[in-house]
Amino acid sequence: MREKHTRGALLGLLAGALALTVHLSWSANDPAPAPAAAPAKAAEGGKAAPQPGSVQLRAARTTADHSKFKELQQDFKSGPEVTKACLSCHTEAAKQVHKTKHWTWEFLNPDNGQKLGKKHVINNFCTAVPSNYAFCTACHVGYGWKDANYDFKSETNVDCLVCHDTTGDYKKLPGLAGHPAYKQMEFPPKSGRQVPAVDLQEVAQKVGATSRATCGACHFLGGGGDAVKHGDLDTSLKNPKRYLDVHMDANGLNFSCGTCHATKGHNIPGSRYTPTGKDDGGTHMRGKVDESNPATCQSCHGGKPHKGKQNGMITDKLNEHTEKIACQTCHIPQYARGNKPTKMSWDWSTAGKLKDGKPFTVKDSAGHESYATIKGNFTYESDVVPDYMWLNGKVKYTLLGDPVNPNGVTEINHYYGSAEDGKSRIWPVKIFRGKQPYDLETKSLLVPHTAAEYGVKDDAAFWQNFKWDAALKAGAEAAGQPFGGKFDFVKTEMTWPITHMVAPKEDALTCTQCHSRSGRLQKVEGIYMPGRDGKPWLDWIGWLAALGTLAGVIFHGGLRIYLANRKAG
Amino acid sequence: MLKIAAGFVAGIAVTGAAAWTMAGGLMFNERVSPFGVEETVARIQHNIQATGNGWTLSGLRNPARAVQTDGGNTLPVLMVEACSTTYSKPILNDDSVRYLSILMPCKISVYKKNDGKVYIGTMNAGLMGKMFGPLVGDVMGKVAEDQQKFLVMDPTKPAPPLIVPKAGGEGAGGGGGGGGGC
Repeated sequence: MREKHTRGALLGLLAGALALTVHLSWSANDPAPAPAAAPAKAAEGGKAAPQPGSVQLRAARTTADHSKFKELQQDFKSGPEVTKACLSCHTEAAKQVHKTKHWTWEFLNPDNGQKLGKKHVINNFCTAVPSNYAFCTACHVGYGWKDANYDFKSETNVDCLVCHDTTGDYKKLPGLAGHPAYKQMEFPPKSGRQVPAVDLQEVAQKVGATSRATCGACHFLGGGGDAVKHGDLDTSLKNPKRYLDVHMDANGLNFSCGTCHATKGHNIPGSRYTPTGKDDGGTHMRGKVDESNPATCQSCHGGKPHKGKQNGMITDKLNEHTEKIACQTCHIPQYARGNKPTKMSWDWSTAGKLKDGKPFTVKDSAGHESYATIKGNFTYESDVVPDYMWLNGKVKYTLLGDPVNPNGVTEINHYYGSAEDGKSRIWPVKIFRGKQPYDLETKSLLVPHTAAEYGVKDDAAFWQNFKWDAALKAGAEAAGQPFGGKFDFVKTEMTWPITHMVAPKEDALTCTQCHSRSGRLQKVEGIYMPGRDGKPWLDWIGWLAALGTLAGVIFHGGLRIYLANRKAG
Repeated sequence: MLKIAAGFVAGIAVTGAAAWTMAGGLMFNERVSPFGVEETVARIQHNIQATGNGWTLSGLRNPARAVQTDGGNTLPVLMVEACSTTYSKPILNDDSVRYLSILMPCKISVYKKNDGKVYIGTMNAGLMGKMFGPLVGDVMGKVAEDQQKFLVMDPTKPAPPLIVPKAGGEGAGGGGGGGGGC
């Protein structure tokens, strides 16, 4: 009997294999299906009609043609001359700018008294400003900051054009202490590339509202290049498509930075020094005094942003999520999505190598520098899946003089947050890993003097002589830090909350991308997540209950069939 | 007799079910790459060029770009296309298996998943080839051997440059094109 069964099964297997082969062959011989009609597509780059509230419409409402102002019909020789002309009408503008972080590069953290701002913090990109003023201040909203003795009270030192240029021709070059090129010059030095002089009159006569391009001139290029620092800010946002950012979509809503970072008296809200971890304030209303951050998602979308009557249960569940999950977590599935890879690590310890006595660079497979004598080793990545963490808006920095952890990883900034404090949400972040110099005696981070003023020969500048000792000594002197002469490199991490590059809603994370054991939130602690978390004994009870129910149904049904047959028989 | 027939039917059912559930997994392979998307692609491209046996690069496609163009998002995917006339010629010259030209050129997909890791997806050429007779089985067996050479990731070697096809693409999928091969 068993032999018959086996024979039958073998025949079945053979027949099955035969059937599969025949099926595949038939499939292969099927006539080709008629081609489907191609979906209608909008021509790439084609301009859609401006949406209500778009920048185009706002620009059309401008009431002043600056080219008609006599004050601006001058042959300006320098930026401060332009500012003087601007201030003849905008009398309070410079005073307002003087009060902002964009001018002072200082911020006093009210939570812990730490002095932050570019003037005081040290990061693991180009590190810090002291000793490198003329280079770094290419991104200062002022002119002439080339050393520690800068005149912060001068109104004509305020640079109006860097934020209000609409021509795209106004560029402040590193090394010029915040000035643009007033005459044609070779830049970078010894590169052979010529930068033309800026036409200050033309730029001044065409000033307008800030734009993605003006803000991006610094914020897209932070850390020494396009996309390097933030991960969610790069030049792809100058003219982004919908997939990259639904709000800034150039053919759609076309938000400028200022649409969300709504400015009052030149003070721009929204800062990584005081991020809003959890905004419970709801939407901002016209006429209502509201000092909360206008750049949060909730300030427009409210606390229950998900709408829809058809799937009410799902909508309610999604809105429940907003209690613990930042909007960005689901709606920014990856950062660096604009085909501009962001820098993910920077190892200063390998900087200074020479080839045939000369500095050199090495490129990675995608053509980006993976090594440069002046900076060390880097790694880049695009479409990066973020890390996730609780964030309540409190942050503490490791500043110059603070101790580092030579045997582990030192956090350049530590964002606080937890599931229990009631003030946190789970946020996506970029974690940038570095290796940078520290003093072996004081055990604190050191500032390398990297760049000199344009055209100045400086033996202590690392980018000129590649000598760490001299560069660190000069950096420490400028920063007012002691330096014993002995140094090493320490691993560091810096955290950057991700909040730009908001994808269309249909590209938000799906449930299982988090609700699974190896999902995106697998490392986030303090919260029970169905699909991710579980107790084996509870699972067993569940399975036993399910199997018991099935067995009961089968037994009951079988018994009834049996008894019915018996009765009929 | 009834029991033999029942066993036969059960055998077919079991085979069918097994084939249904396992076929997809058997026909394609997936492995994690220790490198980023571009570097993985570049290393595969250079391995292909170093393999010999008539292999040439015939394209590099970026299907993710097409999704972006349509306003959507997807994680990066790059498809390396390679072809060897040494292997394609005998198949293209045999009318009975010429339809297998739809499998040409040979493709290797490099993509990122939601866990942030980079994966390499390949066709199981050896197994697939066996399904189409001795000629195809023999050719695809050799392709499978070469395919293993394409996927060698030697971290001691420096990252080679990505080879971007010079010729324009064919549109859909973006970034295709390039000459050579089939």
